[in-house]
Amino acid sequence: MKRSYVGVLLLCLVVLMNIIFTQYAVNFFYAQKYINVILLSLGNVGLFPIAWLIYKKEKNQGGVR
Amino acid sequence: MEDNNKRVTVREQDDNYTHNIVRLNERSLDRRGFMKTMVGAAGLFAISTLPWGGLAAKQLFAKEENPFPKKKIADVATLAKGEAMEFHYPSEHESALIIRVGENEYKAYQNACTHLKCPVFWGKEEKELLCPCHHGKFDVMTGKPVAGPPRRPLPEITVQVENGVIYATGVKPYEA
Ligand code: FES
Repeated sequence: MKRSYVGVLLLCLVVLMNIIFTQYAVNFFYAQKYINVILLSLGNVGLFPIAWLIYKKEKNQGGVR
Repeated sequence: MEDNNKRVTVREQDDNYTHNIVRLNERSLDRRGFMKTMVGAAGLFAISTLPWGGLAAKQLFAKEENPFPKKKIADVATLAKGEAMEFHYPSEHESALIIRVGENEYKAYQNACTHLKCPVFWGKEEKELLCPCHHGKFDVMTGKPVAGPPRRPLPEITVQVENGVIYATGVKPYEA
């Protein structure tokens, strides 16, 4: 079986999105665009189950152990 | 794994209650371990943005019913022309700076730098608001950043002079 790094890459992407969302949330807060802050923090919360699903799906795609 | 079931005889000098701890691969971070870490990080990010969302919601709902209080800053007599003074507005935890830029002209800003929150002070010679941390500079008349890392203007506080007393009346919202 070939080793698959899809999960690793996808999770890296999710965390990158997390970082971007967090950064923007904080900045929007000080710019008083509160709606955007709420949307971004919800987005961050929504990313967690996605990450978890990716992990569940990909954890056994590792090939030879 | 097979030795688990066997009775292992341990040499006497090794029989120190730790001989059965297997430390092989203890620190190796494999693919699955890495993915677990990433999921954990995602969870951490999710939780850490929640307070920001909460604060934002609070601000959103509190907006209408909360006009800023009118608060005395100082007597006109105590603030000479070209001088600055620190005060706190709207709450005790938000430091601010008032500058008497002209005979009858005052400018007041919340003086937490918009870069990383260092206290901005009044550079008398330079006639600019200066941030000591990373040499940020702000224009006194507008509060706009003119040099250094800050990108957003300082929040301006509206002032009002009545019978020789300076009052703070509110904080201007960001336009941008
Ligand atoms: S905190 Fe003011 S310039 Fe960095």
